[in-house]
Amino acid sequence: MTTSLLEASHIYAGYGEVPVLRDITVHVGAGEAVGMFGPNGHGKTTLLRTISGLLRPSNGTVHFDGDDVTIAKPSDIVGRGLVHAQQGNMLFGDMGVAETLELAAFKPRARAGAKAALERVYALFPRLAERRKQLARTLSGGERQMLSIGCALMCAPRLLLLDEPTLGLSPRLKEELAVAIGEIHESGIPLILVEQDVEFLLSLTDRLYLVEHGEVAREIDQASAPDHQEIMDMYFGTAAT
Amino acid sequence: MTETLIATIVSGLLLGSLYALMASGLSLVWTTLGVFNFAHGALMTFGAFVAWTVAEAWGLGLLAGAVAGVGAAALAGVLIELLLVRPFYGHRNMLLITVMTTLAAMIILQNGAQVIWGARLKQLPPIVEGNVSIFGAVVSAHEALIIVIAPLVLLLLWWFASTTRTGRSLRAVGQNQDSAALIGIDVPRAFSLAFGLSAALAGLTGVLLGSIRFITPSLGAEPLVKAMIVVIFGGLGSLGASAGAAFVIGMLEAFLVLWLGLYWTPSILFLLLILVLVFRPNGLFGRANA
Repeated sequence: MTTSLLEASHIYAGYGEVPVLRDITVHVGAGEAVGMFGPNGHGKTTLLRTISGLLRPSNGTVHFDGDDVTIAKPSDIVGRGLVHAQQGNMLFGDMGVAETLELAAFKPRARAGAKAALERVYALFPRLAERRKQLARTLSGGERQMLSIGCALMCAPRLLLLDEPTLGLSPRLKEELAVAIGEIHESGIPLILVEQDVEFLLSLTDRLYLVEHGEVAREIDQASAPDHQEIMDMYFGTAAT
Repeated sequence: MTETLIATIVSGLLLGSLYALMASGLSLVWTTLGVFNFAHGALMTFGAFVAWTVAEAWGLGLLAGAVAGVGAAALAGVLIELLLVRPFYGHRNMLLITVMTTLAAMIILQNGAQVIWGARLKQLPPIVEGNVSIFGAVVSAHEALIIVIAPLVLLLLWWFASTTRTGRSLRAVGQNQDSAALIGIDVPRAFSLAFGLSAALAGLTGVLLGSIRFITPSLGAEPLVKAMIVVIFGGLGSLGASAGAAFVIGMLEAFLVLWLGLYWTPSILFLLLILVLVFRPNGLFGRANA
């Protein structure tokens, strides 16, 4: 279609009879980091689930690297390098940290670089290296997030979808994850980052989508970024000020 | 006296081995898909009948029969998953629906066996002829072989689940389907693999049992009930717990038969099951938070 790495066009999707996404269109360019924010329950997670193939859209298309992946299986989409780290994800409770990471390099494309990727994950998150043998369900919330991002990195991502990686974490841990996510992007991996914290997003991404009522309510370019107050107004409505 | 004791222990080990093979198959499907497969016993019967046809009726020998029996059971398992379980994934009443559909599969297999093979009793030849003597007690060599084969098969299964990529992927699917899909595991394929492998284990049990007992359409019914007791007793969900519970139940059964006779044994086993469920609802070896 275009030069975009990811192009999700006019997506309609929902659960059963309940529509969540209404004609939403987003794109990610090569090398770009895109932020996504908006009220809870307005479709951010549903959009990511649709892009990664967990949910079939009732209408619209998803193109990744020029190929139509709208109805591809999740396992094939991962194989292409479009990798989704879920929100509040406990992964595999009864598996150890190292075992989980090794398994995450599942697709042949990921297996080739698994050794290097594992070292990279441990360098990025030294806590995971300390807890190699520990079972996932005994990890703290922050460690689970690290494992979840670590798993996504083991899949040899060409585009990373991160769904609220700092949900429920302390400010200190949040800062730690922000640094890690920054490093991941600087190493050349484009990403979509979903977050509630706009400041956090502004520090890590080039462009923002405000998602409301299942559609893009506004697109914000960092270059012409409105000031903090304007974004707060958008988010909470002018009545909040 | 000691001879009776040893004979009873051997009988307990034999029962334990058979129950462990049955229960590990049930447990594999339960942990991967969250489906309780009531057709498991009928798959075992089916495997035994196919093995008999190939080995005896066609005269191709026991090895060919065993391979055919295990393979046919595995194929039937994959078909049951595809036709009777897969259409209901994600349905909110999936557990209840699959109870009904796998019960239907059981009835189809059982009555199908009646139609195809008739009611005349059949038996497979033993894998090895003759007897062996264990501490003075005489045991048929075939039964002794089962006692050796079962733990080996269980070890192989454990090795498969804990170290191989495919085995690990089955465990991952059982623990979190979405996450498994998002690291690239083909979840539907994992389901059919789990069902096929489980049915292959049922088929193997049928082949082993087919030369100890007569092969009838209801051959698998009693072992299925025992395997259900075992998996509930051990706590559904872990291979080690199921295998451990299988040997506990097998040994208990052997000694209950010795002390109380055949008639009271099933009642006592069910009574014990109720007691375990009252005092340890997650099974004898189950985790409290499982």
